[in-house]
Amino acid sequence: MKNFKAVGSRLLQLALVLWAVVTILFLMFRLMPGNPMAAYIDPTFTLEQQQQLMAQFGLDKPLWHQYLIYLGNLLQGELGQSFRYREPVGQRIWILLPNTLILTFSSLIVAYVFGILAGAYLAWRRGSWVEQAAIPLVLTTRAMPEFWLGMVMLAIFSFSLGWLPAGGTRAPGNEYSGFLDLYTSRDFLAHLALPAATLAIYSQGLPLLLMRSNMLDVMKEDFVTMARIKGLSNWTVVVRHAARNALLPVMTSFAIAVGYQLQGNVVVESVFSWPGLGRELVNAVAASDYPLAQGAFLMIALVVIFMNLAADLLYAFLDPRISHA
Amino acid sequence: MPEIAAPAIIKPRRPHIIARMFRALRLPMNDPFAVAGLLIYLVFIVVAVFADQIATHDPTEILYTPAYDLAADLRPGQDGFIMGTTSLGRDIFSQLVYGSRSALLIGITAAFMVALIGSIIGLVAGYFGRWVDAILMRLADIAFGIPFLPFVIVLAAFLRPSIWNVVIAMALVLWRDTARVIRSQVLTLRTRGYVEAARVAGSSDFKIILRHIAPNILPLSFLYGSIAIGWAILTEASISFLGFGDPNSISWGYMLQDAFASQALAKQAFYWFVPPGICIILVVSAGFFITRGYENILFPKLSR
Amino acid sequence: MSEPLLSVRDLRVSYQVGRNFVHAVDGASFDIPRGSITGLVGESGCGKTTVARALTRVIAENAAITGGQILFDGKDLAKIPEKEMNALRWRDIAFIPQSAMNSLDPVYTVEYQLDEVLRRRGGLGRKQSRARSEELFEMVGIDVNRLNDYPHQFSGGMRQRVAIALALALDPKLIIADEPVTALDVIVQRQILDQLKELQTRLGVSVILVTHDISVVAYICDRTVVMYAGKVAESGTMQAALTAPSHPYTMGLRNAFPDLQGAASGILTPIEGAPPNLASPPAGCRFKPRCPFALDICGTEPPVIDVAPDHPVLCHRANESAALRIEAAKTETWMAPA
Repeated sequence: MKNFKAVGSRLLQLALVLWAVVTILFLMFRLMPGNPMAAYIDPTFTLEQQQQLMAQFGLDKPLWHQYLIYLGNLLQGELGQSFRYREPVGQRIWILLPNTLILTFSSLIVAYVFGILAGAYLAWRRGSWVEQAAIPLVLTTRAMPEFWLGMVMLAIFSFSLGWLPAGGTRAPGNEYSGFLDLYTSRDFLAHLALPAATLAIYSQGLPLLLMRSNMLDVMKEDFVTMARIKGLSNWTVVVRHAARNALLPVMTSFAIAVGYQLQGNVVVESVFSWPGLGRELVNAVAASDYPLAQGAFLMIALVVIFMNLAADLLYAFLDPRISHA
Repeated sequence: MPEIAAPAIIKPRRPHIIARMFRALRLPMNDPFAVAGLLIYLVFIVVAVFADQIATHDPTEILYTPAYDLAADLRPGQDGFIMGTTSLGRDIFSQLVYGSRSALLIGITAAFMVALIGSIIGLVAGYFGRWVDAILMRLADIAFGIPFLPFVIVLAAFLRPSIWNVVIAMALVLWRDTARVIRSQVLTLRTRGYVEAARVAGSSDFKIILRHIAPNILPLSFLYGSIAIGWAILTEASISFLGFGDPNSISWGYMLQDAFASQALAKQAFYWFVPPGICIILVVSAGFFITRGYENILFPKLSR
Repeated sequence: MSEPLLSVRDLRVSYQVGRNFVHAVDGASFDIPRGSITGLVGESGCGKTTVARALTRVIAENAAITGGQILFDGKDLAKIPEKEMNALRWRDIAFIPQSAMNSLDPVYTVEYQLDEVLRRRGGLGRKQSRARSEELFEMVGIDVNRLNDYPHQFSGGMRQRVAIALALALDPKLIIADEPVTALDVIVQRQILDQLKELQTRLGVSVILVTHDISVVAYICDRTVVMYAGKVAESGTMQAALTAPSHPYTMGLRNAFPDLQGAASGILTPIEGAPPNLASPPAGCRFKPRCPFALDICGTEPPVIDVAPDHPVLCHRANESAALRIEAAKTETWMAPA
């Protein structure tokens, strides 16, 4: 019963946040100086198109009415028409989303596998010179601007050494028949390598530091001491007991990191001309393509919000103290 | 066995409020990293203050070589330009020096606003509880649902691009982390003996907050403030890099954008785009190092 | 008396705190006969827990066994290589911790934690392990259906029973119980102690019960070792300690605790003062500053005097103990510190 209530209030919170973000988005795009939506009615459109748009967004109607139309459109998944591409925003986002997700998840998985192992190792070697040197180094990677790291990587591995391509998802002229065909090609992976490595280097610090400090805490717990008194092997003590417990909050942070990463992607995608949501958002804002900017923003916000929820659920699922209450 | 029972309420003599506030900051002077961080701050502050004296050129001026050619893409040391010049013939060293001004300006104002707004909201939510707390914490939930960088980009693009709009956009979102932590700290402080005692003795809420609670959360505010300095500088750099920065100020992010757009990568002009990055790393990690010193003080169980 | 199971000789354990060494255990000697329950008593900080942990050789990182012998089954546990020691842990020497809540891993079921010991340390197969787990749960009186529960799903007393089941898993020769009932309320304390006593008698295992509570010792122990400030003040049979306590500290302790059986035994009189700081212990007898019977001679190192066979006492005035006991029974003796 208590669980039901907790889940219920969490879902209520989710609904509130969704509504608030959608509303903030509406206000941001309608109330800004110079009324950005007015720019949407472009003189190059035909009169018929202009009228159609006026009706669709109800720009002649009072603000509250516009708001209702906007909510109604959103509920139907209607994000409007991109000004630059002359195609539905939803369709455009649908094409870009996989690129962003592949970049985000591949870099984060690498970052987490490395960060967790290295964090556990550093906790085990605490006080050693390895640890003394590693911690400031890791903090430094957290202090790097991601796009700058991307620039350095590009300058070295692409322009100087010529090992990897400089941008995009595929070499010019290469055509692929479908999703899977493209995403598993050597060409694509070569293009993925640098941006993913950039994001991974930036992201590994979080799981690493978290894992290390959790491990240090858990190693002081009575049950770890007991595991030693039981004569269990060092491996069993450190991995099955200490690391298993220390891992809980780290796994939870993965979901939150996905949200953060999606925001960081905005710059890294721009450096590597990676056709993803973040770069599209930047381009759309720069080109005053407001429906597309709004759509991309909303999509990123949705992922952030749902990842925050996923983090809570994941924690409850992984920790028997909550899942078996 | 019987332990010596502590008296229920210990009320130490309280020194002057300003002295207490200062002591409450608990600057982590015995942690070598923290000291290094403070030193880095000090160096950059000196450079920022004396930028006019240190810089060799006007950072925005288009320069010419003694032979009256455009001083474009000169390598470090060539024709007396310490770190070379940009593709448009501007002095990189001078830009770097002036860049410290906007970095520190942004960092410190944003950190101040984030820490101030976050602390006040956290304090009010934690101290008054009930519906005040409920409303403020739902606001924090909402702030957590807003993608930070996209939000700043959109605001910076819609409002006139300026340093202050970037700062405001950051403050509007980043107060959430500070507020949550301060709130939970206040919740525990509220149950302490001396706060209870002050309440029973009839002190006003304002007085209790100012005298008993604020000094205790000050180090936490400071901690989150120093984290925000780094965030602010990184964010400003990103915004400038994407082209939404303040066109009238030279910042490290602007330099990187200029370098990127001018094919500095292909030209292998490391002297151009590496130094601004290093400066950003130094200032931001200085904040982290100070923060780490604080963590050892605030959360002793983390330290070995 | 037959050969004891465990014989601790002049054991020394030190902690490094900054640049100082704290000698938490400073030359402790005592014997644990086979099939007995021995109470290891003393105030907190007297070194009893350090002794208990030293027997398993799992001690704090800044601690080390700096001298003495721990003779167990013909081996000196203070000297054998770590590998040999590890083979001995839990199979021969098991441990019941103070707080079973913190000493059971929260993310695994109780069965997993039994199974881990039974299979990894006991070499049992999957089926045997399950059968043994059920048997152990029956022994400690918990429903077998609860094997699949997580530690947080048990009550405090139940968790302590789980800890006992875990300790018994591999039929050890010696079980060290470190304050096993301190965190529990009095009624549950008695249930757990009764259970422990019953199992100990049935299985013939030896138990060292570490506690600050002399009434717990009086309730189930056959023997007692009283520690004070890193040294053994007095040891012997329970009978001897109850009827003829010969160290002033033991006499004081007896006045300071109620009877676990609930019999009102008069006024409780605490011992004034606190144990000495072991970083700089007082010269001579360490109990001297708090002892109502201290003389000038107590400023010198006290001798170990056998007041009776199997009853050593670390006190200059051990031979006068019969007279001192009469004085010690009076409350006013303890009111005015020497």
